[in-house]
Amino acid sequence: MLAGAGAALVAAPASARIRPGSMQPLIGPGYKPVDTDEKGLWAQMERVEEEVAGSNLLIKDPELNRYLQGLIGRVGGPAAKDMRIYLARVPEFNAMMFPTGFTVFFSGLLLRMRDEAQLAGVIAHEASHFLLKHQIRSWRDMKRKTNIFAALAMAAGVAGGATGTYTGDLVRLAELGTMLTLFRYSRQLEAESDALGLKLIADAGYSPISMSETWDQLITELEWSARERRKRVRRDFSLFSTHPAPRERLRDLDLSAREYAVAGKSYERGRERYLQALQPIRQTLFEDQVRLNDPGASQYIVETLAKDGWNGQLLFTRGEIHRLRNGQAHQQAAALNYAQAVTYPDAPADAWRWHGVMLMKQGREAEGRTALQRYLAMAPNAPDAPFVRQMIQS
Amino acid sequence: MSRSKSLAILATLSLCLSACSSVGGAGGLNSPYNLVRAGQVINVGSGAMSVTAPRNWNRTERSLFTDVRWVEDWTLNGPLLDQLSFVAGLPHDKRLVRQEHKADRQVPKFRRDMTAPEVAALIETLYRVEGGSLDFRTVQLAPRSFLAAPGFQLDFEHLGGDEVWRRGRAVGAVIDGKLYLMMVDAARSHYFAQVLPDFEAMAVSAVRRR
Repeated sequence: MLAGAGAALVAAPASARIRPGSMQPLIGPGYKPVDTDEKGLWAQMERVEEEVAGSNLLIKDPELNRYLQGLIGRVGGPAAKDMRIYLARVPEFNAMMFPTGFTVFFSGLLLRMRDEAQLAGVIAHEASHFLLKHQIRSWRDMKRKTNIFAALAMAAGVAGGATGTYTGDLVRLAELGTMLTLFRYSRQLEAESDALGLKLIADAGYSPISMSETWDQLITELEWSARERRKRVRRDFSLFSTHPAPRERLRDLDLSAREYAVAGKSYERGRERYLQALQPIRQTLFEDQVRLNDPGASQYIVETLAKDGWNGQLLFTRGEIHRLRNGQAHQQAAALNYAQAVTYPDAPADAWRWHGVMLMKQGREAEGRTALQRYLAMAPNAPDAPFVRQMIQS
Repeated sequence: MSRSKSLAILATLSLCLSACSSVGGAGGLNSPYNLVRAGQVINVGSGAMSVTAPRNWNRTERSLFTDVRWVEDWTLNGPLLDQLSFVAGLPHDKRLVRQEHKADRQVPKFRRDMTAPEVAALIETLYRVEGGSLDFRTVQLAPRSFLAAPGFQLDFEHLGGDEVWRRGRAVGAVIDGKLYLMMVDAARSHYFAQVLPDFEAMAVSAVRRR
């Protein structure tokens, strides 16, 4: 452990990749703070955790929470039994680790993961920040050299978790503003967490390449989102300013995965298990994303998930993306996607509703009525049933 | 993915269709509000609709630069607690709010052929994009006539980033390809019940002027 600690604390040049095999956790099971400043930090964080634990924004589904906790148990290293995970309903691609060993995952991250291996990678990355005591190290660093740029970024509410993007409303509104400095890890610390995280998932039997895939998905989604609005990806995020350059980080993760994977060993992805665990909330997660009308990002998410096969839910979601866009061509594209979606057995009831509405608008009223009737049969208590009934009768 | 505008609005923890950036001057010369007296007939938005207030309300001053001229907001207790919005004849291809042209997340434009479910979805997107709502639930969408035209009533609840549940009702109709709408939104506990009778009285009093 000491050797590992030494290795971790040596400041490597920004370009040097950290080898997963060289990383060791700095803490063991049941870790408690020793130094005065860390004890103080923990005392504050315990209050923060109380607030997070009581938040209205948490998704409380007990089975899903057990599942997430189970993943920490598998890839959390020596602190597997000490860490807690909270799932917040925020449609952002992010997660963050707090210094006392609890982590907050945003529901938008779960939506974007293709399988358990990808999710395990993010969990392991976050866990590594804790295992390597990054928060207290970064806190001390911050106090030593007050950084004007960090202060400015803080004021602007820019903070980064796993992915270094906007952290969403939870942090902002749980009045954690002053704590955000803790999550602005340096490039060095992010690279360390990538390396240890990769080692943790590979040792647990997950495909280590999943981590660079996740990172690629994050970068590409930002690019698609910006391209749709005809602009450049913003460079003033911690993602691009203090974190390892995105492409560089992707390359390092990819190289490390190939280097660390044991030849001939089969690693698992856990796709079926993941989809099953996510099933109760997946439709809601799609809705939360699509209804933000960020079509480039949403389109990328749908197409990424569709690499594992199109289905009624994905086609319906693609229809929703088009429906919220301006212009007649998109309305036609929406109608087409709904029509395709309802040919799949897993099409949600909402797909039938919108399929029906679009048919009625095209003047295909008899078919439209039939689709709306199908919708009501599937969702007799839908909140818009009174209006849909009128549409059928008129 | 930074959404400066939606964050600025979130800072006031409420959704305002028109300018509420100036909120903070509590009365006096700098007040962003004008008094609406009980019984007074007011032409709202660009004047295409009039309503009669059953008691004194506060009409939010509008800005040429940030507001959409068909839209205006009123409040009884302040915009954190309740908000009443009027949309008077929003034309085809216009938005309910002014947004940055290149914002990642955008409220769709109104289209003249929109059905009630589409207008309801437009309202939901408005709350999610501009109001920072993290959970939005449609309670009911039902037929209702408004301004003597066949329209709809949308009841909804939403959870903001401030973790307060709010409840709202929108009553509207698309007439001659334009959107006419009244919408109330208030903290679910106490305030919604307080302002709803006023909203209903004003919806009944509403007259289309053009």
